[in-house]
Amino acid sequence: MKASSQGIGSDLPALKARYPEHFAASWTKRAAVVGVVTVLSGLFLFGFWRLDFSLDRILSGIGKLGTLVLLMLPPNPGSWAKFFTFIHALAETVAIAFLGTLLAALVAFPIGLVAARNTTVNRLVQFASRRLLDGIRGIDTLIWALLWINVVGLGPFAGVLAIMTSDIGTFGKLFSEAIEAADRKPVEGIISTGGTRLHQIRFGILPQVFPVIAGQVLYFFESNTRSGTIIGIVGAGGIGLHLAEQIRTLEWQAVSFLVLLILVMVAVIDALSARLRRAIIGRSQQPPM
Amino acid sequence: MLVIEDLSRRFGQKTAVDRVSLTIERGSFVGVIGRSGAGKSTLLRLVNRLVDPSAGRIVYDGVDVTHLRGKSLRDWRARCAMIFQQFNLVGRLDVMTNVLMGRLSETSGQRSLLKLWSAQDKAMALSALEQFDMAGFAAQRTEQLSGGQQQRVAIARALVQQPDIILADEPIASLDPRNTRLVMDALAKINRDYGITVLCNLHSLDLARAYCDRLVGMSSGQVVFDGGPLDLTEDVSRRLYGLEAGDVLEIDHIENSRSSLPAAFAA
Ligand SMILES: Nc1ncnc2c1ncn2[C@@H]1O[C@H](COP(=O)(O)OP(=O)(O)O)[C@@H](O)[C@H]1O
Ligand SMILES: [Mg+2]
Repeated sequence: MKASSQGIGSDLPALKARYPEHFAASWTKRAAVVGVVTVLSGLFLFGFWRLDFSLDRILSGIGKLGTLVLLMLPPNPGSWAKFFTFIHALAETVAIAFLGTLLAALVAFPIGLVAARNTTVNRLVQFASRRLLDGIRGIDTLIWALLWINVVGLGPFAGVLAIMTSDIGTFGKLFSEAIEAADRKPVEGIISTGGTRLHQIRFGILPQVFPVIAGQVLYFFESNTRSGTIIGIVGAGGIGLHLAEQIRTLEWQAVSFLVLLILVMVAVIDALSARLRRAIIGRSQQPPM
Repeated sequence: MLVIEDLSRRFGQKTAVDRVSLTIERGSFVGVIGRSGAGKSTLLRLVNRLVDPSAGRIVYDGVDVTHLRGKSLRDWRARCAMIFQQFNLVGRLDVMTNVLMGRLSETSGQRSLLKLWSAQDKAMALSALEQFDMAGFAAQRTEQLSGGQQQRVAIARALVQQPDIILADEPIASLDPRNTRLVMDALAKINRDYGITVLCNLHSLDLARAYCDRLVGMSSGQVVFDGGPLDLTEDVSRRLYGLEAGDVLEIDHIENSRSSLPAAFAA
């Protein structure tokens, strides 16, 4: 009965007869791939034609871009007074991003709990909170900014609210997914000792999801310093307002100075948050102090 | 005294526990044996109420605990501590906090959620850890410990619940032989020193014979054997594990592993 290893697979015809599906070339799959590629390239070309893509305009545009860049050199805020105004506005943008992200995380955590299968109150609440999160998420930060400006007026407060509302949706979804991915066994251990639902969440779920959630929040803070610039342009506070103003008054050297400031800020915050994220993940592998 | 009456649990078409009736005397060390899928885990989880029964009753000291809810259910769970095959500790928390989870039902909500444990609770946790030579690990992150160490932490957690019963669901199935003995000895010590009833699921007949004063054999959800370790004849174990007459190899294996046990261990 024992087959030597050289004998494995040697009765090709018999194996073919037993498992025909593994030997048949799957032409249908290949046709599907070819079809998808054709349709996608068709759409691509159609889009170019429909949106008036023209090589001429790109070439002449590049020329204009060249003159703009020359006008921007050297970067210069204009005066010390403007310099300090710009720095103040930059700090405001960072503050808007920080507060907005933190508030969003605080509001999103309880919603994430009820939206997660394993910690929700009941099916109906879970369904409702999921739809709510999807709805919030469907609206972009910029649109929220325009809405909040109408509600609370121009300024940084509208910016904080805009970032908070748009991120609640995404955070809620990410948090609920992290909670659903948490291991069930520690939670069961807590239940078996007579722990309440809150105990299960506090001791069974939270220690598991905290590093994940903290990493996500930091990442969003980083990206919100960038969206904080954009929403400033529509009047929700911060450095974007000044950027729009300098472009309108054709102060190109001030514009390039502002762009440089933003670049430096984004780089510094990226570096800081990357270090913090590494510290949080690293800490989860070392003994707690 | 724990009385289980006609207890059943169905999962869809499958009857995991089928009309089980048992009376477990206070202070006894009872082993539940049977091959995997026999319904041993479900039986223990029914007692702790991690799983709700489809039919039947669980009565402890004259009190029906089958339909308890809320605070009284949590109090019952605290009285019948559970030990799991996979330890079910919170790996990211330190050992001390894991043991203190055994005090949750005795601590007020706000204090426990903020980890404001009383000095007595901490003392209790440390002394429980000390009994199993684990006090030195109290500040360590639990997931860094070996399986045997984690299971001893789990036993310490069970002990600080000050339970009447300990339900151990294959506590040694993920452990090596040395840790197997440490953990089984820890359970035996708890049973002897504190008079806590132990109901322990076991895979290995040798361990069941060595540690238990009574064995309950399960097959397809039903109790098919109930007696002392000496009543467990070869014929019974053959039936329990569903071995056919042709499975001579397996029988040999079981007997070999029994005879290779050190005499002191088997005693
Ligand atoms: N949560 C569950 N859902 C569905 N079936 C289950 C569940 N728990 C146990 N079972 C089934 O019940 C039977 C008994 O399982 P279990 O109590 O784990 O047996 P044992 O612990 O003796 O191996 C098995 O057939 C198992 O598949
Ligand atoms: Mg089991």
